[in-house]
Amino acid sequence: MPDISIWTDYFGIYMKGFGNTVAASVIALLGSFAIGTIIAVFRISSVKPLRWAGTAYVEFIRNIPLLLVIFVFYYGLPSIGITLSGFICGTIGLMVYTASFVAEAIRAGIMSVPAGQTEAARASGLSYTGTMRHVVLPQAIKIVIPPLSNQFINLVKNSSILGVFAGFDLMYYGDQVAGKTYATFDTYLFVALLYLVLTLPLSYAALRLERRLAGNG
Amino acid sequence: MIEFRQVEKHYGDFHVLKTIDLRVAQGEVVVVVGPSGSGKSTLLRCINRLETITSGSLTVDEVKVNDKGTDINKLRRDIGMVFQHFNLYPHRKVIDNITLAPMKVLGIPKPEAMATAMFYLEKVGIGDKADRYPSQLSGGQQQRVAIARGLAMKPKIMLFDEPTSALDPEMVGEVLDVMKTLAREGMTMLVVTHEMGFAREAADRVVFMDEGRIVEIAPPEEFFAQPREDRARLFLKRVLRH
Repeated sequence: MPDISIWTDYFGIYMKGFGNTVAASVIALLGSFAIGTIIAVFRISSVKPLRWAGTAYVEFIRNIPLLLVIFVFYYGLPSIGITLSGFICGTIGLMVYTASFVAEAIRAGIMSVPAGQTEAARASGLSYTGTMRHVVLPQAIKIVIPPLSNQFINLVKNSSILGVFAGFDLMYYGDQVAGKTYATFDTYLFVALLYLVLTLPLSYAALRLERRLAGNG
Repeated sequence: MIEFRQVEKHYGDFHVLKTIDLRVAQGEVVVVVGPSGSGKSTLLRCINRLETITSGSLTVDEVKVNDKGTDINKLRRDIGMVFQHFNLYPHRKVIDNITLAPMKVLGIPKPEAMATAMFYLEKVGIGDKADRYPSQLSGGQQQRVAIARGLAMKPKIMLFDEPTSALDPEMVGEVLDVMKTLAREGMTMLVVTHEMGFAREAADRVVFMDEGRIVEIAPPEEFFAQPREDRARLFLKRVLRH
């Protein structure tokens, strides 16, 4: 039996970390979705420099360990006079890193929308942006939900890396409690449960959304 | 209204359109026929710049289609297009398929766009399908929605790219009837089709293409009764035999 007192005695501390993990995840999720969408549109653009920029972003960022991406913000920025907290560096790093995977998922979704859709929209006088926004992306998003929910679940779990940078997240406080009490297993068991509290509803929500959108078209 | 002058188009090594000269006057119905791969669809798609030309000049309403300074989106407002595979937006209801461009391109307020959409849906005979999704409609109904979608922009020209080729034989008539009505009402139309009956009945002129070239242009009575060119004669013999 796990020692429940480890959970109850330090509940407030866990919750502080939990709150920060939620905050980091939500910010990074929304940010990576926005950046990823823009990068995806860049990657399929007919304008060469945009295409190159998009490809460079994806290939550099997704092929570097997350830890090193955060290093850039944590150790790199101070050298040009910008010092940000571990929480902010970790969240930005997570956002930038996840965006490269989101971009690839969205690009695949866009490519799977038949060319005739774009032709019909463009022929009616819609601009490229209008065509993307009203015709292509709404169809792509349906296809993209399963791979995207994968990325977002990974994001929540990857946020545990904030602990390395004094990001005051769930993992950070878990380390603190474990160090203090030496009840390593019981502490991290609770930490794991708290991550599940975040990720399981995310999985469920993705499944619901997928079913709902499958309804029409 | 539409004028091709010495238009050439290449896809890499492939010479798709060869020295095309064609003028379409306002209110005229021109039907383009010919074997598959003869460049009919490409010719049509050049008019609204879904395809670009390699050389020569192509103007619509005196506007150079391929000019750098041409606002292509503005030009396209006046050119409706109907595709072989309908290309309706599957995620939008029928009515929302039709109101999209009027609202987003012309900035027409929603109630007015809805009223216009209903008017054209009634006109093509499926006013009762406004709240359906395209996948709930038959092919013929979908193509009629596509025509209504094109008309809702109140275009000066309508382009039809094999509008009945993907339909069950039973559905062909209902789509052609709508097109014939449009033709009678004076719409400027360019139609690529294999429906010789339609060409005979609705066309002012028939354009026969083969291997990227316009081989013959003639009024339908002449073209079907006694085509001047051997290639046209052979084509007609093959398609009219059954």
